[in-house]
Amino acid sequence: MKRPRLALRVVVLAYVGALIGVPLVFLFQQALLHGFGPFWSALHDPTMDHAILLTAKVAVVAVPLNVIFGVGASLWIVRHPSKLTRILDTVIDVPLAISPIIVGLVLELVYAQSGWFGAALAKIGLQVMFSYPGIVMASIFVSLPLVSRQVIPLLREVGNHQEQTASTLGAGPVRIFFTITMRSITWATAYGVSLTLARVIGEYGAVLIVSGNIALVTQTLTLDIGSNFDNFNNYQGFVGALLLALASIVLLLILGIARHRERTRNEYLA
Amino acid sequence: MRASALITRGTAKGLAITYLSLIILIPLAALVTNAFDKGLGSFWAAVTQQESIDALRLTLLCAAIASVVNAVAGFATAWVLVRDRFPGQAILNAIIDLPFALPTVVAGVTFYTLYGPLSPFHVNITGTWIGITVAIMFVTLPFTVRSVQPVLESLNFSAEAAAATLGASPVRVFRTITLPALMPAILTGTGLAFARAIGEYGSVVFISNNLPYRSEVASSYIYSLTTSDQTNSAAAVAVALLIIALLLLIFFNVTAQRLARRRA
Repeated sequence: MKRPRLALRVVVLAYVGALIGVPLVFLFQQALLHGFGPFWSALHDPTMDHAILLTAKVAVVAVPLNVIFGVGASLWIVRHPSKLTRILDTVIDVPLAISPIIVGLVLELVYAQSGWFGAALAKIGLQVMFSYPGIVMASIFVSLPLVSRQVIPLLREVGNHQEQTASTLGAGPVRIFFTITMRSITWATAYGVSLTLARVIGEYGAVLIVSGNIALVTQTLTLDIGSNFDNFNNYQGFVGALLLALASIVLLLILGIARHRERTRNEYLA
Repeated sequence: MRASALITRGTAKGLAITYLSLIILIPLAALVTNAFDKGLGSFWAAVTQQESIDALRLTLLCAAIASVVNAVAGFATAWVLVRDRFPGQAILNAIIDLPFALPTVVAGVTFYTLYGPLSPFHVNITGTWIGITVAIMFVTLPFTVRSVQPVLESLNFSAEAAAATLGASPVRVFRTITLPALMPAILTGTGLAFARAIGEYGSVVFISNNLPYRSEVASSYIYSLTTSDQTNSAAAVAVALLIIALLLLIFFNVTAQRLARRRA
C-alpha cells in the first residue's frame, strides 16, 4: 500500500514540476541573468513604462465596472429571478467559452470604421478601435463573468432571511445592501476582483486585435512583451514577463487568503 | 416599496442590459451576420478552405491530446492533494493555480525560449504539434484538478472501507467505487479544459511558429484573416470554432449529468 502511494506522489510532483515549476524558475532566471543593474535599467525602458501605464489605466476602469456589473447582476439573478434573468445567467458566462481572438474580432466588426457603429461614433469624435476605449471594452468582455460566478452561488447559499428581517424592521434597500448583503459576499467579491484584475492585466489576444499594437500609443504590457520577442529583444521581454508573473503571484496569494477567509466564514455559519 | 426605489431598480436593470448588449450581444450578432453575409455557400467555402481545415484539425488534435493527458494527470494531482500528506503539499496546491493567473503571453514566451531554438536543454519543438500541445497542457492543468478536488474531499471513506473489509482488492475498490463517484467531475473539468484549449492563442502563438497548413492553430488563422481584411472569412471560421466549442461543452456536461444521475 505504501509503495504505490509514494510512486504516485513522485509522478505528480515530476509532472507539475516539469510543466509549471521549471518554466517559472526559468522565467526568473532569464529576467535576472544579467544581474540587478541591467534589470534596473530595463525597468526604465520608455516603451515598457508607457505600456505599464496603459495597462494600469485600462485596469482602473475595466475592473470597477465589471465588479459593479457583476455584483448587481448577481443580485438581480438570485433575488429577482425571472425568464429574463435565466437568459442573463447564461449570457454572462459566454465569454468563458470564446477565444480571445474571436473577442477582438467581434468588437472590430461593430466598432471599426467599417463596422456597424464605427462610422457613426467617429462622427461624434469617438474612436473605439485602435484606441483606449476599445482596449477597455476587450478587457471587460474577457473578464465579465469572473465576479458573478463567485457571488451567485454564495448569494443562493446564504438566502435572504436576514434581508427580509431587516426590511420588516424598516431598513431601506441601500442600508440592507451595505449592512447585510455586502457583508456576506465580501470575500467572494474579493476573490472575483482578483480574478478579474489578473485577467485584465494579462489579456493578450483580444487586446492585440482591438489596439492595433502601436508602441508608445496603444501597446499594453502584454503586447510590449510579445513585440519584444518578435523583435529578438528577448531580455527586455523577459523583464516585462517577470513583472507580470510577480503580479499574478501576488494575486494568487490574495486569492488564497480570500478562499481561506470564506471557508472559515462558512464553517462559522454552519 | 417606494416609487423612487422601483425607478432606481429599473434604471439599474436597464444599464446592466445596455452594458451586456454593447460589449457582448451586439458584437456576437455582428459575428453571425458577417459570417453568413454572402450566403451559406460562402460561409461553407470559408470554413472548408484547406488552410482552415488544417488549422481546425490541428487545434482539435492538440486540444484532445492535452485534455486527455490532463484528465489523467489532473485526477492524479487531485488525489495526491487530498489523500496524501507530505511536506510542501501546500506549495503544490498553490502552484496548481498559476496557469490560471499567469498571463498567456508570459507562458508563451517562456515555453518558446525553453523549448525553442535557444533552448538550454537543446530541445526544439517549435512549429510542431508537440510544442502546441505542451503549451495547452500548461494552460489547462488546473481545470481537472480543481473540479475533482472538492468532490474527492467530500467523498467519505466508508464505502471504500466496507468494500475493502469484504475482501475487494485496492484496484477493485478504486474501479468500482472511487472512480465512478469522481467521473462526473473529471468529465466536467475535461470539458472546460477542452473548450479553453481550442480557443487558446497567447500561450501557443510563439511556440507554434504559425506555419499555414502545418503549425497554425485556429485562433491564429482567424487572426491572420482579420489582419488581412478578410473579415467575412474570419467570422465564418470563428463561428465554426464557437459551434465546435459549444457542442463539446454540451457533450461533456450532458455525459457528466447522466453519469451522476445513474449513480443517484
